[in-house]
Amino acid sequence: MKAKEFNIKWGMVIDLDKCTGCGACMTACQVENNIAPMVDASNKLRTLSWMLVYELSNKKAAPDAEIAYLPRPCMQCGNPACVPVCPVVATDKNEEGGIVSQIYPRCIGCRYCMAACPYHARYFNWEDPVFPKGMEKALSPNTSARPRGVVEKCNFCHTRLMKAKDKARQEGGNPEALADGAYMPACVEVCPTGAITFGDLKNPEHKVHELAKNENAFRLLEKLGLAPQVYYMSKREWVRKLGDNYAATGKAGAAKKHS
Amino acid sequence: MGLDRRGFVKFVVGGVAGTLFTPVIWQGLDDASIWSQNWGWIPRVPKGEVKTKSALSKLCPSGCAVKVKVIEGKPFAAVGNAANPMSKGGVCPICAGGAQLLYSPARVKSPMKKVGEGKFEAIKWEDAEALLVEKLTPLKGQEGKIAAISGDETGSANEVLSALLSGLGNAGGFAVMPGEMYTATRGVKLMGGNGQPGFDIEGADLVLMIGADALDSWGTSVANLKAFAASHPTGGAATAQYIYAGPTLNNTASVCDKWLAVPPTATATFSLALAHALIEAGAVSSAADFAEYKALAAKAAAGFEAATGLKAEALKELAAKIKAAKAPLVVAGASFGQGAGALDFVAAASLNVLLGRVGQKGGMTVLGAAPKAIASAADRENAKDAASLLAQVATGKAAPAALLIYEANPAYALPQAAEMAKAMGNIAFKVSFSTYMDETAALADLILPAPHPYERYDDAMNPYGVAKATYLAGKPVLKQPVLDVKDPVDVLLAAAGKLGLSLGFETYADVIKAKAKALGADFDALAAGGIWNGEPKGGALSLGAGALAKAAPAAADEKAVALAPVTRLAYGSATLATPPANLLNVRDTELKGKDLFVQLNAATAKKLGVAEGNKVKLSAGGAEVKALVHVNEGVAANTAAILLGFGRSAWDEFTKGKGDNVYKILTVSDEAGTGLKVWAGSTVTVAKV
Repeated sequence: MKAKEFNIKWGMVIDLDKCTGCGACMTACQVENNIAPMVDASNKLRTLSWMLVYELSNKKAAPDAEIAYLPRPCMQCGNPACVPVCPVVATDKNEEGGIVSQIYPRCIGCRYCMAACPYHARYFNWEDPVFPKGMEKALSPNTSARPRGVVEKCNFCHTRLMKAKDKARQEGGNPEALADGAYMPACVEVCPTGAITFGDLKNPEHKVHELAKNENAFRLLEKLGLAPQVYYMSKREWVRKLGDNYAATGKAGAAKKHS
Repeated sequence: MGLDRRGFVKFVVGGVAGTLFTPVIWQGLDDASIWSQNWGWIPRVPKGEVKTKSALSKLCPSGCAVKVKVIEGKPFAAVGNAANPMSKGGVCPICAGGAQLLYSPARVKSPMKKVGEGKFEAIKWEDAEALLVEKLTPLKGQEGKIAAISGDETGSANEVLSALLSGLGNAGGFAVMPGEMYTATRGVKLMGGNGQPGFDIEGADLVLMIGADALDSWGTSVANLKAFAASHPTGGAATAQYIYAGPTLNNTASVCDKWLAVPPTATATFSLALAHALIEAGAVSSAADFAEYKALAAKAAAGFEAATGLKAEALKELAAKIKAAKAPLVVAGASFGQGAGALDFVAAASLNVLLGRVGQKGGMTVLGAAPKAIASAADRENAKDAASLLAQVATGKAAPAALLIYEANPAYALPQAAEMAKAMGNIAFKVSFSTYMDETAALADLILPAPHPYERYDDAMNPYGVAKATYLAGKPVLKQPVLDVKDPVDVLLAAAGKLGLSLGFETYADVIKAKAKALGADFDALAAGGIWNGEPKGGALSLGAGALAKAAPAAADEKAVALAPVTRLAYGSATLATPPANLLNVRDTELKGKDLFVQLNAATAKKLGVAEGNKVKLSAGGAEVKALVHVNEGVAANTAAILLGFGRSAWDEFTKGKGDNVYKILTVSDEAGTGLKVWAGSTVTVAKV
């Protein structure tokens, strides 16, 4: 299948050699997107984590053991597996920029999209959002709270894109040619090591344009052909291999298909 | 006119077709889908203009300079303040969720008075303040009757507390919670210096962290992360090497070029053995005690493999890397930020002396004493440590009748926590100035709610680790606190006045402004996210051989394993239980339901006869902690690693009763030659249950 193409392609390049796994991105994501805290957050089948930091291991015994942390937002695939399976078109990839949408009021909670997504980037609201008493006063204006029964996921903080475009219009700029850094999701803004670089993968003036072509850049499960808009990079071969799950070539990193 | 069959079919088909062409059905479906999710109990988000305000967020130990995003006058998010040269726009995982902590269910909502075991009643501020004065009045002028414990490492509030105690005739009653600053300053003294050590991570091209979890929970972690990031440009070649030597493959080690698995019992041995390897490779020092130091280093090297489980080759490789670096720096610290004693510090810091890196760019510095706002306040380094104070209370050597607890949680976050909490029971009147209902507040006779960082004036002088003198200050983001709180310092200054003591200030804001003035800094610029910096200093330091020679070798116990408590900044600190929003960050290999995991490497697990998922108990000093086993190769040999900061008995539903409190099984011993209480080298026995 051919990936959907747009003139602008918002994407990330995450340098795994700079991610310490501190979790600031996860906290900032919850704050920005009004994800209610859960009393038992160790039940990972029930938690909502639009951004989730995985721990990777080279599986070697000490002293050769190494670990790496891998932050996983929604990959905003060029050819998303979740879109064709949605029976009510609650999720689509139809907007300039290539962000895969999720329309909560339209979602009927069938969870086909969750089954289809190989990145586990989608989450189902098993409960209504309940904030500790008073904490609803600290809700972010950027994302509506979702009721139980619907699926949700990272949308690259889409409200921030709308606001950046509005700002460009107000300042007489071109909303379809935002400057590098004019729009960035909460996780990118907050990362203390700047491990996540964000921008338009197609715009040569944006850092991600070059970074995505770096020899150490790779995408998760490239062999599936979903063409994610999130790239990772690591100088560590074992990390690149894991990212690809020993894809088609069997070599470190898979054949890269840059667009 | 009758309706025949054909007419009926036409009517139905026409009706259906007509309906499809009207928007009614589609609009209805759309409305139904929207309204079926639009229930009254789903919270609505605020609307309006988002403004940002600068704040000093002292939720984490070092404090983050943040920009707080505010809508309709209410904070909802925090990001780093790019204008602040220390945090450079970065923020830690605790301060990133600072706005939500304003409404933490664990916050103390009003002054409370104890009316029975575990029972409190809300009282008015005027009654609470009157009670405080009433209890302190008869103790005034009686040496040893009033004590205070501060859990704040950097605030000028310490000056107020110390001056208040002096003024009431109890100058020796001021104690501080354990932390790196306290022991490291003593370590510098043992090396012939005077002041708090600093580490210029930003200027170094090889950073060896011995114990210090500098990229997560140690020192000014956000500034350290920024220094790391600057030397590791995305997509480019790194300009500095980072190496971690410590008991676990933690967040810091995960991005380092090399991790050397050193059990917490062998930190000093590792440092001295490395000194030996460096001396072998040609390092010499003009320090007077070099010959003695050289002999000590050689002795340590002989026992290196047995003590650490590492091969001597690893040291040689490391020494070669250090020799090849232009600006190497050794950062000394305990892997969980406390309890290491001064000798572990001296052993690691002496490497900087050996390499001639003291006072150099990218080296170790010594910060001089900062000017005080209140002249009668004692120097912080002369304070007692809280563990010693409560140990004396337990044995009757000290018998204060009143204890003021400022931003500290000694009933939970001291080694042998259960005994410390019990010792507190010997003190008749305990006042807890706390933002949250922590374990200490739950034991107090009077709880005076303190403001959240967005509701108060506060400052931070020389957060531990900074290479040059540093001062930060902040003012409230909110015009009115969200709860009935008062600044503890304002309360103490008012109480001092009623006790006939004038400290020269009426509010904490005045104290901070005076401090800024004494430094020659502009308070308004500081409150807007600015910073004051002094010049970095060096000073001649010895290798500390005299002190190191007194260090007693750890007694080997074949049955016990070293205990490595693990701190992760995101999971809270000694004064803050895991914030509700950060619980999501805790992995299910660290905490599952109410069970903590103890991490053991496969060889250690085999030796102990335990396997993945086994329930075990870790025992030491008459206390025990239960946990499940998780086999993890990121743990040093003969070491059990387990998260610190869980097993809360107070706070809120998000943290209470989850896991166990590892402080309980940290056993205190006296450090030979320094008299300090140490517990970083605690050992435990592990048994299946």
